[in-house]
Amino acid sequence: MNFKAALIYGKLINSAIRIIDSSRGSNKAGEMALAKCPDMIKHFKGIDPSKVVFITGTNGKSTTTNLINHIFTKSGYNVVCNLEGANLLPGICTALIKASDLSGNIKADYLILETDERYLHKIRENLECNNLLVTNIMKDQVQRNGDPDFVYRKIAKVVKDFKMNLFLNADEPRARSLEDNGAKVIRYGAEKHSKSFTKDESFPTMPCPKCKHKIIFKYYNNDMVGNFRCVNCGFGSDEPADYITESADFEARTFSVNGVKFNMPYEPPYMLYNYSAAVAVAKEIGGISEEKSAEAFADFKNIGGRLETIEYKGKKIHYMRFKQENPETLQNFINIIAADPGEKAVVVGFGTVDDITPFYINSFYGYDCNFSALADANIKKFLCVTDTICYDSANCLIYGGADPNLMEIIPTDDSARIAEAIAALDCDNVYLDMKLEAFENLKNYVEKEA
Amino acid sequence: MKIAWMYPDTLFLHGERGNVLALERYAKELGAEPVVDKIDFETEGFDPADYDVIYFGAGEISSFESVIKDMESYRDALKAFIEAGKPLIVTGTTMAMFGQKVKREDGSTVECAGFIPAEATEREYVYGDDLHIEADYNGKHMEIVGNQIQMENISFKEEGDFKGFGKVVYGMGNNGRDGIEGVMYKNSVFTNLLGPVLICNPWFTSGIIRAAAEVSGETLAEKDPDFELELKSIEMKKAFIANKKPGSFGQ
Repeated sequence: MNFKAALIYGKLINSAIRIIDSSRGSNKAGEMALAKCPDMIKHFKGIDPSKVVFITGTNGKSTTTNLINHIFTKSGYNVVCNLEGANLLPGICTALIKASDLSGNIKADYLILETDERYLHKIRENLECNNLLVTNIMKDQVQRNGDPDFVYRKIAKVVKDFKMNLFLNADEPRARSLEDNGAKVIRYGAEKHSKSFTKDESFPTMPCPKCKHKIIFKYYNNDMVGNFRCVNCGFGSDEPADYITESADFEARTFSVNGVKFNMPYEPPYMLYNYSAAVAVAKEIGGISEEKSAEAFADFKNIGGRLETIEYKGKKIHYMRFKQENPETLQNFINIIAADPGEKAVVVGFGTVDDITPFYINSFYGYDCNFSALADANIKKFLCVTDTICYDSANCLIYGGADPNLMEIIPTDDSARIAEAIAALDCDNVYLDMKLEAFENLKNYVEKEA
Repeated sequence: MKIAWMYPDTLFLHGERGNVLALERYAKELGAEPVVDKIDFETEGFDPADYDVIYFGAGEISSFESVIKDMESYRDALKAFIEAGKPLIVTGTTMAMFGQKVKREDGSTVECAGFIPAEATEREYVYGDDLHIEADYNGKHMEIVGNQIQMENISFKEEGDFKGFGKVVYGMGNNGRDGIEGVMYKNSVFTNLLGPVLICNPWFTSGIIRAAAEVSGETLAEKDPDFELELKSIEMKKAFIANKKPGSFGQ
């Protein structure tokens, strides 16, 4: 099928999906149109590669993409964006089908696109783009990615083959080390702040991406992100970034970039990197001043499911999205719990890894994390749930220094049983640590009960 | 009891710290006084003979050449350590580093340490799954459940004192074809098992500590500690695995 026919086909599918079930519209039209015309993305017209930005990396892609889109949109630009997080070729194709006229002309000022790190090369082969933002390259989805080097090599090949302008996290060693092959390099980062932390010597760090010797961190702003230096070759983060969040005040919810004060839309410290990355792209690609970006920050709302509080039978249940096989998101959650001085219970729901088949069981990520701060965090109970690794979760907490007497183990994935156990807790402040799908099931149950 | 944790910041992939914590814990619970030393490129004068257990965790293939080069200075002493019956424990991808070579996906070859008669071929796609084996270690038959994140297919044939470490009950093992998991030589084990395997299977960990103590002459408690939590866990995992269809291992 030629491009125009595939485009019309895609638009018809989009219209049909809008009528039948709009929640399924992020991928389908692109997927079906690409099946008819595999190179159709190459045929869209009116795209200026200097105004296209790919956002890739392990953690923070969706939030950063959404924030950049928000700043550009608030500044009056017409933006094409795959906001739903459909970050493979079909998702990007769907976004382009939606944004084009019947001749394939894209009427947009900018294309801000979240891109899957493993398929980045394929996406770039199909869509010209001069700008690449890398959030970080971490342990994640080991069943799919194996090790961080697997993803690092994929991103590094894109950087080498296409000589793009790079926006790099200055404080994350792997992302920063891509700087040698960029056409132009803009670094973003975060100054040390009141929630920066250290880990004791028993915790490994990571190999230097350049020489494989040990990286040491003077402090962490997020797990494996902070002021770092290789003990052998000296590669490090001492040279300051171009855009840095400074004077972060988590109580007043403010920070500054280049002397301009920003409202902090969300408090978790890891989001400071999303903030500085977005300000950098807005200024360098869109010519949007820090002042203008700051105005946009005032009413930024992130997509749902990342951070939420729900109420059930008098309990306030705080959820932060936690990705299994991803120590960084778990460590962030631990730090947030530890920062709350109030009496609390913690529900730990490490479970089956079910992203791809075969589903399997893995709890390694717990041993990369420092649970010691929880020992003094006024925790009255740990509720370990799920019907595959509740005992391993409890064991991980015990190895991390938690009191075994505080453990209650309930081998279930059933939302009703978990909700019942939460309702029976002695304290009203509950932190919930489980994968997004399990949280959504629990939330649905709680809403139905209410 | 001295435990060497090798290249912890380079061979760092799958919660290796947990395995070291387990070695330390069970050494203590069995009555030894464990000391854990981290050994890496910057360590001067490392001598394997000073240690009772040596542990290498899973690392990226891209790190193998740097580690193998550094191992040159103590290679013979490490071989003597193994020959003496002391436990060298190697988990995950790093098992291939002790083989003959790794053929990489880009066509290049990494010449490896050559301690075991095994060769590896890097896979185009990662294969991750549960791994359930039966093994005999230090005179005890045991079940071990963990998982594997397979970046390579391992080709190994039993020869002389080099035996498979375990028989695969469920999972891929070395290559998904021959039912063999890992390699064992005397008390040294090279295994694909992760999990962290020594946390989740303390009967194996206890066996390692006992094997080390037998060589050094150290006296340990006769009875193993209480494994109640881990036994409940392994039964739960076996029930989960029993409902799975074996994968094709992406061969």
